[in-house]
Amino acid sequence: MFSLRPMQAAFKLAARQPFPFVTTARTTALKASSTYQTRYAATTSTDPAEAVSAEQAQAILKEQRLKRPVSPHLSIYQPQLTWYLSSLNRLTGVALSGGTYLFALGYLASPYLGWHLESATLAAAFGALPLAAKLGVKAVVAAPFSFHCWNGIRHLVWDTGKFLDLKGVYATGYTVLGLTALTTVGLVLM
Amino acid sequence: MSAKIVHPRLLLSASRLVSINRPSRIISSLTAHVSTRGLASVATADASPRVAAKPRIKTFEIYRWNPDTPQKKPEMVKYDLDLNQTGPMVLDALIRIKNEIDSTLTFRRSCREGICGSCAMNIDGVNTLACLCRISDESSGATKIYPLPHTYVVKDLIPDLTQFYKQYRSIKPYLQRKDPPTGKEVLQSIADRKKLDGLYECILCACCSTSCPSYWWNSAEYLGPAVLLQSYRWLADSRDQFKEERKQQLENEMSLYRCHTIMNCARTCPKGLNPGLAIAQIKKEMAFSG
Repeated sequence: MFSLRPMQAAFKLAARQPFPFVTTARTTALKASSTYQTRYAATTSTDPAEAVSAEQAQAILKEQRLKRPVSPHLSIYQPQLTWYLSSLNRLTGVALSGGTYLFALGYLASPYLGWHLESATLAAAFGALPLAAKLGVKAVVAAPFSFHCWNGIRHLVWDTGKFLDLKGVYATGYTVLGLTALTTVGLVLM
Repeated sequence: MSAKIVHPRLLLSASRLVSINRPSRIISSLTAHVSTRGLASVATADASPRVAAKPRIKTFEIYRWNPDTPQKKPEMVKYDLDLNQTGPMVLDALIRIKNEIDSTLTFRRSCREGICGSCAMNIDGVNTLACLCRISDESSGATKIYPLPHTYVVKDLIPDLTQFYKQYRSIKPYLQRKDPPTGKEVLQSIADRKKLDGLYECILCACCSTSCPSYWWNSAEYLGPAVLLQSYRWLADSRDQFKEERKQQLENEMSLYRCHTIMNCARTCPKGLNPGLAIAQIKKEMAFSG
């Protein structure tokens, strides 16, 4: 393949414009530069009535960009252990912290609202529940707590750079899920 | 029948004596027996017709949106193809649909061999290259094809990657030296060159960045796995002398630290690279010497 450079230079010397050639402010400025690629076929309309300046072209593009939709993401992306466990980590984290904050605020406000949130009252109320409800409540608190703890350790391990290949991510992921199940059962039955 | 291979030139001149449309059987009075293999063979009358294989119809559901009618919401359109007549990859199917069914279907493509990165799109929920993604069996339901997730759609399956390229430029993806140029090659040991393996092969298809939920929510400020992988490629290059400046550029809340090790990037990379690992290495370098 011959080099384009000598050909370009030759044409510049001849000071000929290839047909059809659209002259805009941009092309005139660019022609002066040595890196300008001369095109021998028009890539835009050559009708002078349709000629558009660089600023106009940008304005048209801006208008078009405002109308563009965003392609779907969460609704169509394949469920994968990677992002499912990551979202679960965030969800359980928010639920656990949020719950803790709510309880703390409630505890502070309880004298003014007439609630009784002391340990003794809570323990008595819990003890009065039927067995199924007791286990249910414990499971609902123990599951997110165990998952978040084990996954947290998984993140700390990742921060050292270990197990960060695809195999490691999946292996540690399933390990965390298994440990969560065991720990939840353990905590519920305690 | 005994056959003697005759020079093609002789064949041609001989066939001018008989009609060129009839299968050529030069009579022995003119020349010796000629091999008919020199000309295209015509199927004989008693040959059994090839049994047409039962068509395997596969449905493709493809995301369509036309910027010429922007008020019309994007929709999923179904196309049916016989897999027996189609190549094995999703790109083959897309090209067939465009050629034979709906020529307004618009998508990017170039090399058809997984090296240019043009045909990156979301197929059955996974970001990959259409030219490397095999069409699943017709029994496994419709194949859904979307553009790369959470990108502005130019038309049908074409995402606007302007911001992606801007982010790539911003990390200065070229060798930067402080020493004045000597006119000689900048040498690098084999061990140092090995450090670039798994980094330089990136084809900038944007599959990983557009698979990252963190990049979905923060594409304006977070650089994304592809750009960060390339950032690490230059940080890890022993010949580059602007390491501190490169690290300084990442010293803020958003550019690097929006990565939460979701690892969708490594899962989806069609070239088998691991941006998540590279980002972890950057974070380690930033922590222990930044």
